[in-house]
Amino acid sequence: MSDLLAINNLTVSYGAGSSAVDRIGFGVDRGSVVALLGANGAGKSSIMKAVAGLIPAQGEVVFEGENIAAQPARARVARGIVYVPEGREIVGNLTVRENLVMGGYQKPAAERKRRMDMVLDLFPEIAEKVDRSAWRLSGGEQQMLAIGRGLVADPKLILLDEPSLGLAPLLVRRVFDRLRKIREESELAIVLVEQNLAVTMRLCDELHFLRGGRIVGHRTAEELKDETARQEAIDAFLGAAAA
Amino acid sequence: MTFWDTLLYDLFPLIWSGMITGCLYALGALGLVMIFKCSKVVNFSHGNVAGLTAFLVYGLSSGVLLSLSWGAAVVVSLLCAVAIAFLIYSIISPLVFESDLTSTIATLGFGLIAQGLTLVIFGADIVALDLPIPRFTVSVLGLLVTGYDLTVLAVAVVTIGTLFIVIDYTKLGIAFRAMSENPFAAEVCGLNLKSVHYFAWISAAILGVIGALLIVPTTFLSVTTVATFMLQAFAAAVIGGFASLPGSLVGGILVGILMNLFTFYVSPEYSSTFLLAVILVALNIFPNGILQKVGGSRV
Repeated sequence: MSDLLAINNLTVSYGAGSSAVDRIGFGVDRGSVVALLGANGAGKSSIMKAVAGLIPAQGEVVFEGENIAAQPARARVARGIVYVPEGREIVGNLTVRENLVMGGYQKPAAERKRRMDMVLDLFPEIAEKVDRSAWRLSGGEQQMLAIGRGLVADPKLILLDEPSLGLAPLLVRRVFDRLRKIREESELAIVLVEQNLAVTMRLCDELHFLRGGRIVGHRTAEELKDETARQEAIDAFLGAAAA
Repeated sequence: MTFWDTLLYDLFPLIWSGMITGCLYALGALGLVMIFKCSKVVNFSHGNVAGLTAFLVYGLSSGVLLSLSWGAAVVVSLLCAVAIAFLIYSIISPLVFESDLTSTIATLGFGLIAQGLTLVIFGADIVALDLPIPRFTVSVLGLLVTGYDLTVLAVAVVTIGTLFIVIDYTKLGIAFRAMSENPFAAEVCGLNLKSVHYFAWISAAILGVIGALLIVPTTFLSVTTVATFMLQAFAAAVIGGFASLPGSLVGGILVGILMNLFTFYVSPEYSSTFLLAVILVALNIFPNGILQKVGGSRV
């Protein structure tokens, strides 16, 4: 039993058709990094949104021993579950500082300020542009802002949905270096949805392979250390869809 | 009459009084736009609810309901407006998150209820609401400025200024702007979407009452007075782009001035037609409002 998050029989359906996520279950320990791998439409983002309380779902979402499946998104943020969406979803016409304030909206002013300072230390690229409209930032800076906004909420679990999407390799490395730093310095747990397997492998402890809304395989990062094992797992669990 | 005489005696006074009326249209328009920006609902009950509240001031201060001082009557009526806005939003909030169109249509129903209540309580008579607005006239560079003009200007500047300060510099204002631009991001950050909607609806109700109370001295108060005034405010909001607070302010003043000029120089009978034409022209030239947003996105 995982000590932070345990998902049991999670099902997400859009309309009357087949389920986007079909009775899946996995757990996340404090300070661990769990990656969800799968082709487009495998249900990765739906799982993240369901855990964050942003879409309706059936099943159990047990966080720190309590089933929070019926709680709204804002209650989950207050508990320490923060979602960093695919495509960043920053608010372009707010300044960098205002976006960070949004991230810590539920925190008392002094704590929010402390967390914002911590985030700006972590991401000096955006610290220089703190009073600039967020839409003026580059793609990489926007991604840093999106992650930073999530960190201001002082999460125990952060759900990162494709943080490398649309970024140049150098920026991807920079973003993941910061994530590794956060991980080393805190008990923050991360659930990561990522297409970029190479960077995922450098950060995560375990991987779940998804296909058609189901978890079809599970490996630890240790088991996939060498390239051959990695390729075999991808071929076995994801098949041609992942190629 | 020379060209300068025409400017001094006709055009400038018309522009000035149009600007004063325009400030009131802007107050009404700001309320409509605030609600639309964050909840995507066009609140068609805005005028009738503001009208009902203006009648409440009359009823509470004239002895029809009570004999309060005008100040107490205004405060009680503002509280009633806040309560009504709270009630309306509470009832339609489940619809707001399902369908913008359904909730917009629901506001039409609330508008009719507010109008019906006004008729039931106060009847269909036209009444005079005598607020203690200073009655004096001064000449400023040849332009006659009344106490009413200055009162409207002062109230509008203070009200709109306060609103803009709240929106630009407070945490609630950040939440409002975030909700207006990206509700999903606001939800992701754990913002209480309903609280932000309540803020918009209640602020709009207060703006509506202030606008209604200040327009009444220039007309009289009837069941349709404020609703008609809100039609001009609606036009101001449309010209401003319906999603821009500064746009609705500029739109309100523009509508006030243009309506005044048209009424004086052409015909008061066709002023509504003229207003529609102005809206059509403005929308064709500036589809996103006269203050088209300078901004963009990077990917």
